[in-house]
Amino acid sequence: MTATKIRPPQGKLARSQAIKEALLAYGLLSPALLLFLVFTVFPVGFGLVISLYNWRTGPNEFIGLDNYTRALKPDSEMWPALGATITYSILSVPIELFLALILAYLLFQKIRGKSFFRVALFLPYVTSTVASAAIWARLYSPDIGIINQSLSIFGIQPLQWLLEDKGILTLLANAIGIKLPGGLTGPSLALVSIVVYTTWVFVGYDMTIFLAGLGNIPGELYEAARIDGAGGWSLFRHITVPLLSPTTFFLSLITIIGTFKAFNHIWVMTQGDNGTTTASILIYRQMYEFQRAGYASALAFLLFTVILVVTIIQNRTAGRQVNY
Amino acid sequence: MNVRKLVPFSIAAAIVLAACGAASPAAPTSAPATTAPSAATTAPKPADTTVANPPKSADQVDALDLTGKNVEITFWHRYTSQNLTVVQTIVNDFNTKNPYGIKVKLENAGAGYTDVYNKINATIQGGGDLPALSIAYQNQAATYRGQNVMVDLTPFIQSKKYGLTADDLKDIYPYFQQSDKAPQFAGEILGWPTQRSMAVLYSNIDWLKTLGASEAPKTLKDFEALACKASDKAAGTYGWIWRNDASDFASLVFANGGELIKPDGSAYDFNSPAGIETLTMIQRMFKNGCAVELPKTEANGEQNRFAAGKLLFVTGSSSGLPFYASSIAKVEKPFQWQYTMHPQANPDKPIVNLYGASWSVLKTTPEKELAAWLFMKFFTEKDNTAAFATTSNYMAVRASASQLAIDKVKTSKSFAKFPEAAASYANQYSWIQYGAVEAPVVGYDPVRALIQDMVTKVGVKGDGDPKAALDEAVKKSNDILAEFAPKK
Repeated sequence: MTATKIRPPQGKLARSQAIKEALLAYGLLSPALLLFLVFTVFPVGFGLVISLYNWRTGPNEFIGLDNYTRALKPDSEMWPALGATITYSILSVPIELFLALILAYLLFQKIRGKSFFRVALFLPYVTSTVASAAIWARLYSPDIGIINQSLSIFGIQPLQWLLEDKGILTLLANAIGIKLPGGLTGPSLALVSIVVYTTWVFVGYDMTIFLAGLGNIPGELYEAARIDGAGGWSLFRHITVPLLSPTTFFLSLITIIGTFKAFNHIWVMTQGDNGTTTASILIYRQMYEFQRAGYASALAFLLFTVILVVTIIQNRTAGRQVNY
Repeated sequence: MNVRKLVPFSIAAAIVLAACGAASPAAPTSAPATTAPSAATTAPKPADTTVANPPKSADQVDALDLTGKNVEITFWHRYTSQNLTVVQTIVNDFNTKNPYGIKVKLENAGAGYTDVYNKINATIQGGGDLPALSIAYQNQAATYRGQNVMVDLTPFIQSKKYGLTADDLKDIYPYFQQSDKAPQFAGEILGWPTQRSMAVLYSNIDWLKTLGASEAPKTLKDFEALACKASDKAAGTYGWIWRNDASDFASLVFANGGELIKPDGSAYDFNSPAGIETLTMIQRMFKNGCAVELPKTEANGEQNRFAAGKLLFVTGSSSGLPFYASSIAKVEKPFQWQYTMHPQANPDKPIVNLYGASWSVLKTTPEKELAAWLFMKFFTEKDNTAAFATTSNYMAVRASASQLAIDKVKTSKSFAKFPEAAASYANQYSWIQYGAVEAPVVGYDPVRALIQDMVTKVGVKGDGDPKAALDEAVKKSNDILAEFAPKK
């Protein structure tokens, strides 16, 4: 048997072939690239231009960075909105991921009806946000909502839920007759109520991703650990958690970004009232209620910057803990 | 992610964008000069009359001739169900009867007035084709005027050829006409009153009788006392509901003898004694458990709760009459109800909040603008306004048509079981003379949001002093007024 040695083309031929390949590649890429330029790069760039103008339904005057300096002033409405956004994120993300991990771990075991539970928990995620948020808002209604009606069976006083601007710590303290100092009010009950809804919606999605991550952990590792005498908690702590870290990292990244951009359900449930004016709600109100397109665009770019910084920090810190 | 790699890229991008920003002149602001002659005005007309777009005088309007031009216009509205049916019928009638071959095309531009408003603004921003005619509240029309896309109807009304006669102008309620005059634009008429209603007080008459009242309250004092008497938190019944609507606040300020804004539109002044009394009363009613807050998510909650016997009073638009009728007809034990003039601090000098979006003509071509005017004029003719009023339960805009509308409502099947409610419709015509409008100025929408937030915080939740809150709200409102003020 004789082996034929294939020699790579050299000189002019090689250059010509490389050019052809490059042209083909760019040709194939160009439709997607064009769409990306038209529908992503251009709107972002145009948004940036708008943010430099006093712009309502059209550009009134070029004002440079005035919209940005206005947003960054100490008494600007952006700070409370950013505070509400960060609070919403801090409350939502850990609860959501923790519950999703527990549920995924439970549903990864050999238990009866796990398919049913997986589907049931995933359903809220595929349900229309506006529809489900509207229904939850009705459940939370202080006068006609089923939640207060259920609580009254146990003699619990009705709560205002989405209409409550008082902090939950204040409400809890009031319930036991303690007066808290002003700075310790905590997030409003309305915001906490929205966090409960958010958890209900997204826990199923996070759980599904965790389940995929669990499926990638080699079974031999558990087997070997069991032979070495490891118990259930040790298996979870020393095998599951570390080997799930890429999944956890991915989920925490997209969940944090998601909470910073959250809009639909908050708008449907409270329209930003009672301590729930997050950054996205503020941007929308500035755009449509106040017709300050320039200012709203500046706020949007500032929010983008915050998300970018948070993501970079998260990437740098949490990324190091990930075991790939 | 390598941040260092991003730095040179960011600097380059910033330079490019800054260059774009600086280099892009405010071209889109240079809207066509309002006095520029339109190409479409080259139709036969007296040689010495140049028609501006929009026409600046009655003579210019007279110089237009639509004969044989078959002008087509689009009307952006928000009508649905039976209201749409009657509007479409009138449109069809106009399309076949008008001697100029004008064709009106209806286009639904959204479920609510805000949708239409956002669509118009988006069209202005995107440079798309505006409709010749649109439904708009007075402050929204003023906002469009500030963007130089709204037509002053004065020359059309005054036109000898196409305008209105002195009798017409007397017949169409002058209070309605007055409400479309924009104080920020030297009294230009930016809309035409095709529909009007007013803020009234809906009352459960049967319930009132059990409270020892023979009729709905005429004074705010009696209103508050009855509302408190009717309230029972444990039973979930309340005297009044805060609907998160700035118009309800405005109605109460009017009822206390005040106003939201100075008549010349120069400054908001609802921190007057009337404003303070209003907010204090709301605060007191909530503190005493006499009122309840309606969640924003509970659509038509006030009607449903009223029908369910959970509310004694509702402040609402008189045009809600058929909706209340159908809600109450559906309950197990229907009751007698009515609406009356909103209670006043001084019933001898009442002021009622006159509602109602108008139809406004947007800048297109003088021919289309004239066609839009002719359609509006047709729509407000006696039989047409009566037909629309009967169906929609808005008021007929002509005095001569009111009796026709009243008779039809009185004999309507919907009100057969509610004679008191049918009588309400008739009574409202006598309250038109006390009408006042909220704030027909540019930027009133954000002020409304501000008022709603203030009432919810201070009135409903009792968080703050009414006077201080009103002073702050008025200051912010005046800042908005200055920010939105049309450029001279």
